[in-house]
Amino acid sequence: MSFDIDFAIAILPRILSTFGTTLWITVVGCLGAALLGFLWETVRRSTGIGRYAMRFVIDFIRSTPLLVQIYFFYFVLPEYGITLPALMVGVIALSLYYSGYLAEVFKAGIDSIPGGQFEAAKALGLSRVQLVVLVIAPQMLRNIAAPMGNYFVSLLKSTPYLAIIAVPEMLSIALEVASDTFRYTEPMVVVGAVFLSLALCFSGMVKMIETRLRLSPRAG
Amino acid sequence: MSFLDIFMGILAGIDVTIKVTLLGMLYAVPFAFAFGIAQHFARGPMRMMVTTIIEFWRSSPIIVLIYGFYFSLPGLGVHLSAITVGSMVLGLNIGGYGSQAVRAALQALDKGQVEAGYALGLRRLPILWLIELPQALAAMTPTFINQFIQLVKGTSLVSLVTLADMTFVAKAISQINYAPAKIYTALLIAYFLMCYPATILGRMIEQRVSRGRGASHEF
Repeated sequence: MSFDIDFAIAILPRILSTFGTTLWITVVGCLGAALLGFLWETVRRSTGIGRYAMRFVIDFIRSTPLLVQIYFFYFVLPEYGITLPALMVGVIALSLYYSGYLAEVFKAGIDSIPGGQFEAAKALGLSRVQLVVLVIAPQMLRNIAAPMGNYFVSLLKSTPYLAIIAVPEMLSIALEVASDTFRYTEPMVVVGAVFLSLALCFSGMVKMIETRLRLSPRAG
Repeated sequence: MSFLDIFMGILAGIDVTIKVTLLGMLYAVPFAFAFGIAQHFARGPMRMMVTTIIEFWRSSPIIVLIYGFYFSLPGLGVHLSAITVGSMVLGLNIGGYGSQAVRAALQALDKGQVEAGYALGLRRLPILWLIELPQALAAMTPTFINQFIQLVKGTSLVSLVTLADMTFVAKAISQINYAPAKIYTALLIAYFLMCYPATILGRMIEQRVSRGRGASHEF
């Protein structure tokens, strides 16, 4: 059995029919991960007892496999009466997993803001919320555009994990085609090529943004 | 089954998890150094070829690579065991990330280091071996530790190609004794115990590398 190019072209539309689902998962997952990650990092920087708990939670998220986290949410949530569609479970698991990494990215971004900014905000009498939203977040985002973008690309590449909980996305369609026709090579090569091109496009975009920010005189 | 029974049951799969991790490192470390150094030195079409190979392993989703290689190699007449395919694919994926750390660390070194080597009458290879790599090694260590954690966590994927690692055993237990909350909590804890020491070590080294960059600010 060798590679049949006509078959590969024939199944391409069927696999691409769920392209939108993959993009939707990626966009919602990235938004969720960024918001949660920023929330975690804010709690970790608070002065209360919550910071120690948060530190542990972030480490726990980062020290366990995404696959197991997906299984956990998929099988354990219904035990407590929470039945969500598989797609939602997948998006929640992806957001949570990457929020742990983004919290670390935000930490580095905030650490690289000069101390004078914090003191100036205090001197101007800004509240804590104003400090975070108006002073820290804009400067931090500029510092971390590149690493944050790389994690967004990683999240895109993790979307096929949702195939294992039967979310209809590109990998699960490819596996479906494979088990219908007993031909594995073509669907796998097609789905791999689609993901590879998508990931390379995204990381190209991240690189462009990185270069533009570096050229800007206020960067640094 | 009590929580402890389940936890001990899951640990029955730890030997496969460790084996895949170690075999994966046998692929990852040489790949990272060979291709990272090659990308640092190569120019023109050669560099494009090296970059293409790295990007293939680094930018393809790991789960697609594992399914793809496991299911399509036999069709192409290549018969490899699940453990070989799993550790090779995981290792080369992690090695792809590692190669970027190697290249970045080499590029970040001061030019004067190489020039000083030439001035001392060394050839290019001894300069790489004796001057550049030892210094670059410090810069790449934090990334290497993080990639090691990614590798350990990635081994959970070999459960999808029928290897009896911790994740596979946990799923098998849940088929006999349906108690997902206990089983998957135990599984998370098992992976956490394996990875947490490396997470702590990585943070310590990272802090040492970035020491003196100012104190952390509280909100």
